[in-house]
Amino acid sequence: MPADVDMKIKDDEAKKDNDTPTEETKPSVPVSPVAEIKTNVTLIERAVSTLEPRFTHRVLRTLTSLRKKLNWKVLKEAIEGVYPADSATKTHLLSWIPEVPAEETTSSMDIDPPTNTTTPAPKPVTQEPVPEAEVYLRLLIIHHFLTSPSTYQKAGELVHETVDKMQAWNRRSMDPVAAKVWYAVERAYELGDELANARPVFLAAQRTASLRHDDETQASLINRLLRSYLAYNLYSQADKLVSKTTFPTSAGNPQYARYHYYVGRIKAVQLNYTAAHESLQQAIRRAPLPATAPGFYQAVHKLSVVVEMLMGDIPERGLFRHPVLERALSGYFEIVKAVRTGSLSQFQATLAKHASLFEADKTYTLIARLRQNVIKTGIRRLSLSYSRISLRDICVKLHLDSEEDAEYIVGKAIRDGVIEGRIVHEKGWMECGGQKGGYGPEVAEVFGRRIAYCLELHNQSVKAMRYPLNAHRKELADAEGAREREKELAKEIQEGGDIDDDEPGLGEGF
Amino acid sequence: MPDLGSLYRDLQSSFKAQPCDLKKCGTLLAQLKVGLISAGLLVPQEEANPKDLQIARDILEIGAFWSIRSKDIPSFDRYFSQLRTFYDDYGTILPPSPREFPIRGLNLIRLLTQNRIADFHTTLESLPLPADSLTSNPYISHPINLERWLMEGSYSKVWNAREEAPAEEYKFFVDSLMGTIRNEIASCEETAYESLPLKDAATLLFFTSQSELLAFAKQRGWQVNLSSGTITFSRKGEEKMEIPKEKLIAANLQYARELEQIV
Repeated sequence: MPADVDMKIKDDEAKKDNDTPTEETKPSVPVSPVAEIKTNVTLIERAVSTLEPRFTHRVLRTLTSLRKKLNWKVLKEAIEGVYPADSATKTHLLSWIPEVPAEETTSSMDIDPPTNTTTPAPKPVTQEPVPEAEVYLRLLIIHHFLTSPSTYQKAGELVHETVDKMQAWNRRSMDPVAAKVWYAVERAYELGDELANARPVFLAAQRTASLRHDDETQASLINRLLRSYLAYNLYSQADKLVSKTTFPTSAGNPQYARYHYYVGRIKAVQLNYTAAHESLQQAIRRAPLPATAPGFYQAVHKLSVVVEMLMGDIPERGLFRHPVLERALSGYFEIVKAVRTGSLSQFQATLAKHASLFEADKTYTLIARLRQNVIKTGIRRLSLSYSRISLRDICVKLHLDSEEDAEYIVGKAIRDGVIEGRIVHEKGWMECGGQKGGYGPEVAEVFGRRIAYCLELHNQSVKAMRYPLNAHRKELADAEGAREREKELAKEIQEGGDIDDDEPGLGEGF
Repeated sequence: MPDLGSLYRDLQSSFKAQPCDLKKCGTLLAQLKVGLISAGLLVPQEEANPKDLQIARDILEIGAFWSIRSKDIPSFDRYFSQLRTFYDDYGTILPPSPREFPIRGLNLIRLLTQNRIADFHTTLESLPLPADSLTSNPYISHPINLERWLMEGSYSKVWNAREEAPAEEYKFFVDSLMGTIRNEIASCEETAYESLPLKDAATLLFFTSQSELLAFAKQRGWQVNLSSGTITFSRKGEEKMEIPKEKLIAANLQYARELEQIV
């Protein structure tokens, strides 16, 4: 059984490969990319044969780091090593790889020597690997195509061919890889500057995926679609997509985080700030660590800061001292300061100063909506510090244009419940009513909301926990064993009882 | 399509004529729309000749203006949704239309007068303009300013801006907008004042004559004291504090159930 032995060796290697990230501190010999691809292919094969998507996920986790190490020579070697010599798939895949330029060979030579020590001597491969492996290799080739503008065209072609093949195979074990391929599809379209044209492709694929219960692809595709809609500011279409589809609950955390972020953005535009805030909180909670994915972390926080202010809250000061966020949020911090002090002139100045930044972040219109919040905060502060203040003074303090405006604005603030008080028109002043007592049904309501939030948090965390597959079998086996023991015990007791029973019997015999 | 061509010229001339012949335009538009449908241009499909598309867009734009002039808002709505295809999807193929932003601005005002603020913002967000240059486009900045003033309560600014409309058609919305504002102001006054002199109330509500004010006051159920010349607003008595028993019970049961799940 040469194949079996082969698997074993590679298993060990896989373990070594998995151990390296944990021991990265010591200068370990880097695994050559070729060897890494080969082990990955075996892992994928194992995933397919044992029906454990876990292995495939492990492979895909290394995708980002592996992507940077790729070059044509590596890919060529990997493909040649994975496929048997006379494989049709091999020749087809190799046909996509251009001639290896001279400098690349030299650069990969540096990495090559350790390869010989870690990879076993090349054995003749006799078996054709599973289609999943082919898709994985295709994915690597696409990613490499996408690194230079001259090959975007080819990436687009290969992407289409790969997608067609994936759809034709229709294998559930391929789903995790397929989801990644869709990302590559989007990237290929985007770099070719025709993201809008990708939408029909995605929509069709999304329908197929949901019919096939292909959760991973579905999750990936919904995010692709939302992103494409939002890139073109098509909020109403994006909203319709969200309301018409259900995001698969089994999707991974990164996809979920993205989805929540997009939903949060849509809701914020539609003035549904509470829902937006909730979604953004979920996105932050599910996002990868700030150090690994700083871009996403910053983007979510930018939006969340604005939404929080639109809700009338002031974000925490500590947030702006976070090492990842400090620089990115500096413009937002100034806006927060302006809103907090209720200074309209400062707010306008900051808005004008950072206009291009907010425009790039697509938060400009949201921030412009904060104007009324600034005024409300200002009036609130005045109402708290004065028991009676003339409209003229309000006008001066808040930099309003005229007393007439001030009267209307204060009137609206009273009606909206921002402040307690009334206007005495004849004398031209505002009288501020005393504060309400601190107790009442509204306190209970706020308390209830807070409890609901905590419970929701707990439930979400429970849902986010992951359990190893089939772990309950072991428990079942244990339970089985326990039942067995119990039976024995019962039997013994019964027998013991018999003895007990016997004794008097014995006595009787006497 | 010679028939469409002559109809189109007819429509253009009767639309431009002073005063515009609304009735004739209406009948012409109806005929033209049938023509457009049979030519497959009303909802353009596949590859259509850009020239034809431009004419179709022109017809629809005239239709949109015509609906405003004849004060038919639902019809404007229909024309606008048909036009969106031309603006959004064929924007790169067709030369930009000078009427595009006036019509988009009108649509924004329409949303504003119907108090559909969420839609207003969604539409604003999807405009094909960078956000910080929105204010430099007169057709768009007008509705944006109106919305801002409405939201912060600067009603007098809205009132003053009604004459500054960038296009003739914008004024058709002014009346309904003023109605909205008056109701807003009235509800503010009810809570913010105890009583108001009649004269001041009239200026606050932008009424020019006392009889208008009295009719309005009657409609809202205000007590008018003509001898002293004041309006008294009936205060809704301080709401009695009541403990919402059922709600509390429901909440507590909910907590119990959740705790059960945790423990």
